Amino acid sequence: MTSHFGLMVVFALFVSIVFATLMRDEPRDQLRLGARLLAGFVGGGVLAGWLLYPLPF
Amino acid sequence: MRATAADRAASSANPYLICAVAWAIPGGGHLWQGRIQKGLIFLITLPLMFVVGLLLQGRLFPFEVSQPLVALAAFADIGMGVPYFIAKAMGAGAGNVIAITYEYGNAFLIVAGLLNMLIVLDAFDIAQGRK
Repeated sequence: MTSHFGLMVVFALFVSIVFATLMRDEPRDQLRLGARLLAGFVGGGVLAGWLLYPLPF
Repeated sequence: MRATAADRAASSANPYLICAVAWAIPGGGHLWQGRIQKGLIFLITLPLMFVVGLLLQGRLFPFEVSQPLVALAAFADIGMGVPYFIAKAMGAGAGNVIAITYEYGNAFLIVAGLLNMLIVLDAFDIAQGRK
Protein backbone atom coordinates (compact mmCIF):
# COMPACT_ATOMS: atom_id res chain seq x y z
CA MET A 1 0.00 0.00 0.00
CA THR A 2 1.50 3.36 -0.99
CA SER A 3 -1.55 5.60 -0.56
CA HIS A 4 -0.66 8.51 1.71
CA PHE A 5 -4.12 8.49 3.25
CA GLY A 6 -4.08 4.73 3.76
CA LEU A 7 -0.68 4.83 5.45
CA MET A 8 -1.78 7.72 7.64
CA VAL A 9 -4.83 5.71 8.76
CA VAL A 10 -2.69 2.64 9.52
CA PHE A 11 -0.22 4.80 11.48
CA ALA A 12 -3.05 6.50 13.38
CA LEU A 13 -4.58 3.09 14.12
CA PHE A 14 -1.38 1.78 15.73
CA VAL A 15 -0.86 4.91 17.81
CA SER A 16 -4.53 4.98 18.88
CA ILE A 17 -4.42 1.34 20.00
CA VAL A 18 -1.31 1.90 22.13
CA PHE A 19 -2.50 5.17 23.68
CA ALA A 20 -5.97 3.82 24.45
CA THR A 21 -4.51 0.66 26.01
CA LEU A 22 -2.09 2.72 28.10
CA MET A 23 -4.60 5.29 29.29
CA ARG A 24 -7.64 3.12 30.09
CA ASP A 25 -7.99 -0.13 32.02
CA GLU A 26 -11.38 -1.48 30.96
CA PRO A 27 -11.73 -2.91 27.43
CA ARG A 28 -14.91 -0.91 26.77
CA ASP A 29 -13.22 2.34 27.79
CA GLN A 30 -10.16 1.43 25.71
CA LEU A 31 -12.34 0.84 22.66
CA ARG A 32 -14.17 4.12 23.14
CA LEU A 33 -11.00 6.16 23.64
CA GLY A 34 -9.24 4.37 20.77
CA ALA A 35 -12.09 5.18 18.39
CA ARG A 36 -12.06 8.83 19.48
CA LEU A 37 -8.29 9.09 19.10
CA LEU A 38 -8.38 7.46 15.67
CA ALA A 39 -11.14 9.81 14.51
CA GLY A 40 -9.21 12.78 15.91
CA PHE A 41 -5.92 11.78 14.28
CA VAL A 42 -7.45 11.05 10.87
CA GLY A 43 -9.78 14.06 10.98
CA GLY A 44 -6.92 16.31 12.13
CA GLY A 45 -4.70 14.98 9.34
CA VAL A 46 -7.31 15.63 6.67
CA LEU A 47 -8.02 19.09 8.08
CA ALA A 48 -4.31 19.97 8.18
CA GLY A 49 -3.99 18.72 4.60
CA TRP A 50 -6.79 21.02 3.43
CA LEU A 51 -5.36 23.99 5.35
CA LEU A 52 -1.90 23.44 3.84
CA TYR A 53 -3.24 22.84 0.32
CA PRO A 54 -3.24 26.52 -0.81
CA LEU A 55 0.38 27.07 0.29
CA PRO A 56 2.75 27.47 -2.68
CA PHE A 57 5.62 25.47 -1.12
CA MET B 1 -7.24 -0.77 38.18
CA ARG B 2 -6.73 -2.30 41.62
CA ALA B 3 -3.70 -4.46 42.41
CA THR B 4 -4.30 -8.14 41.73
CA ALA B 5 -2.55 -11.17 43.20
CA ALA B 6 -0.20 -11.12 40.21
CA ASP B 7 0.54 -7.44 40.88
CA ARG B 8 1.44 -8.20 44.47
CA ALA B 9 3.65 -11.10 43.37
CA ALA B 10 5.41 -8.85 40.87
CA SER B 11 5.81 -6.01 43.36
CA SER B 12 8.70 -7.86 44.97
CA ALA B 13 10.61 -7.79 41.67
CA ASN B 14 13.17 -5.10 40.99
CA PRO B 15 11.44 -2.27 39.07
CA TYR B 16 14.55 -1.71 36.98
CA LEU B 17 14.61 -5.37 35.97
CA ILE B 18 10.96 -5.03 34.98
CA CYS B 19 11.91 -1.98 32.89
CA ALA B 20 14.67 -3.94 31.16
CA VAL B 21 12.25 -6.75 30.31
CA ALA B 22 9.60 -4.22 29.20
CA TRP B 23 12.16 -2.61 26.89
CA ALA B 24 13.51 -5.88 25.47
CA ILE B 25 10.11 -7.46 24.86
CA PRO B 26 7.30 -4.99 24.08
CA GLY B 27 4.57 -5.65 26.64
CA GLY B 28 6.83 -7.96 28.65
CA GLY B 29 6.78 -5.70 31.71
CA HIS B 30 2.99 -5.67 31.76
CA LEU B 31 2.76 -9.44 31.25
CA TRP B 32 5.20 -9.98 34.14
CA GLN B 33 3.07 -7.82 36.42
CA GLY B 34 -0.15 -9.60 35.55
CA ARG B 35 -1.57 -7.02 33.15
CA ILE B 36 -2.16 -9.74 30.58
CA GLN B 37 -4.61 -7.89 28.33
CA LYS B 38 -2.43 -4.80 28.02
CA GLY B 39 0.74 -6.86 27.65
CA LEU B 40 -0.70 -8.95 24.82
CA ILE B 41 -1.94 -5.87 22.97
CA PHE B 42 1.51 -4.27 23.20
CA LEU B 43 3.21 -7.55 22.29
CA ILE B 44 1.20 -7.74 19.07
CA THR B 45 0.82 -4.07 18.12
CA LEU B 46 4.36 -2.71 18.51
CA PRO B 47 6.29 -5.46 16.69
CA LEU B 48 3.63 -5.29 13.96
CA MET B 49 4.14 -1.54 13.64
CA PHE B 50 7.90 -2.12 13.53
CA VAL B 51 7.57 -4.75 10.78
CA VAL B 52 5.28 -2.48 8.75
CA GLY B 53 7.98 0.21 9.02
CA LEU B 54 10.56 -2.24 7.67
CA LEU B 55 8.21 -3.33 4.86
CA LEU B 56 7.77 0.33 3.92
CA GLN B 57 11.55 0.40 3.39
CA GLY B 58 12.29 2.62 6.35
CA ARG B 59 15.79 2.81 7.77
CA LEU B 60 17.18 1.74 11.12
CA PHE B 61 19.48 4.69 11.65
CA PRO B 62 23.07 4.30 12.85
CA PHE B 63 24.46 6.20 15.84
CA GLU B 64 26.24 9.07 14.14
CA VAL B 65 27.17 11.65 16.76
CA SER B 66 28.24 14.06 14.03
CA GLN B 67 24.59 14.19 12.89
CA PRO B 68 22.46 14.80 15.99
CA LEU B 69 19.10 14.17 14.29
CA VAL B 70 20.32 10.82 12.94
CA ALA B 71 21.59 9.90 16.40
CA LEU B 72 18.20 10.81 17.91
CA ALA B 73 16.42 8.68 15.32
CA ALA B 74 18.80 5.80 16.14
CA PHE B 75 18.02 6.25 19.85
CA ALA B 76 14.28 6.08 19.08
CA ASP B 77 14.75 3.01 16.86
CA ILE B 78 16.63 1.12 19.56
CA GLY B 79 13.72 1.76 21.94
CA MET B 80 12.06 -1.20 20.24
CA GLY B 81 14.28 -3.68 22.09
CA VAL B 82 14.88 -7.22 20.83
CA PRO B 83 12.98 -6.81 17.52
CA TYR B 84 15.47 -4.05 16.64
CA PHE B 85 18.44 -6.37 17.12
CA ILE B 86 16.72 -9.21 15.24
CA ALA B 87 16.06 -6.88 12.31
CA LYS B 88 19.66 -5.66 12.38
CA ALA B 89 20.98 -9.23 12.49
CA MET B 90 18.81 -10.14 9.51
CA GLY B 91 20.12 -7.19 7.54
CA ALA B 92 16.72 -5.48 7.47
CA GLY B 93 16.27 -1.74 7.86
CA ALA B 94 18.84 -0.65 5.32
CA GLY B 95 16.31 1.88 4.04
CA ASN B 96 15.62 2.80 0.44
CA VAL B 97 15.76 6.56 0.22
CA ILE B 98 14.19 6.68 -3.24
CA ALA B 99 11.18 4.55 -2.22
CA ILE B 100 7.97 6.55 -2.05
CA THR B 101 7.23 5.05 1.37
CA TYR B 102 10.71 5.70 2.84
CA GLU B 103 9.68 8.55 5.14
CA TYR B 104 6.55 6.70 6.23
CA GLY B 105 8.72 3.69 7.05
CA ASN B 106 11.00 5.86 9.16
CA ALA B 107 8.00 7.33 10.98
CA PHE B 108 6.64 3.85 11.77
CA LEU B 109 10.04 2.61 13.02
CA ILE B 110 10.82 5.68 15.11
CA VAL B 111 7.36 5.97 16.66
CA ALA B 112 7.24 2.23 17.44
CA GLY B 113 10.45 2.66 19.45
CA LEU B 114 9.19 5.78 21.20
CA LEU B 115 5.87 4.13 22.08
CA ASN B 116 7.77 1.20 23.58
CA MET B 117 9.72 3.64 25.75
CA LEU B 118 6.38 5.07 26.93
CA ILE B 119 5.23 1.54 27.75
CA VAL B 120 8.44 0.96 29.73
CA LEU B 121 7.62 4.04 31.83
CA ASP B 122 4.09 2.72 32.39
CA ALA B 123 5.49 -0.65 33.50
CA PHE B 124 7.81 1.21 35.88
CA ASP B 125 4.86 3.14 37.36
CA ILE B 126 2.98 -0.12 37.90
CA ALA B 127 6.03 -1.67 39.56
CA GLN B 128 6.26 1.35 41.87
CA GLY B 129 2.61 0.94 42.83
CA ARG B 130 1.53 4.23 41.28
CA LYS B 131 -1.07 2.60 39.03
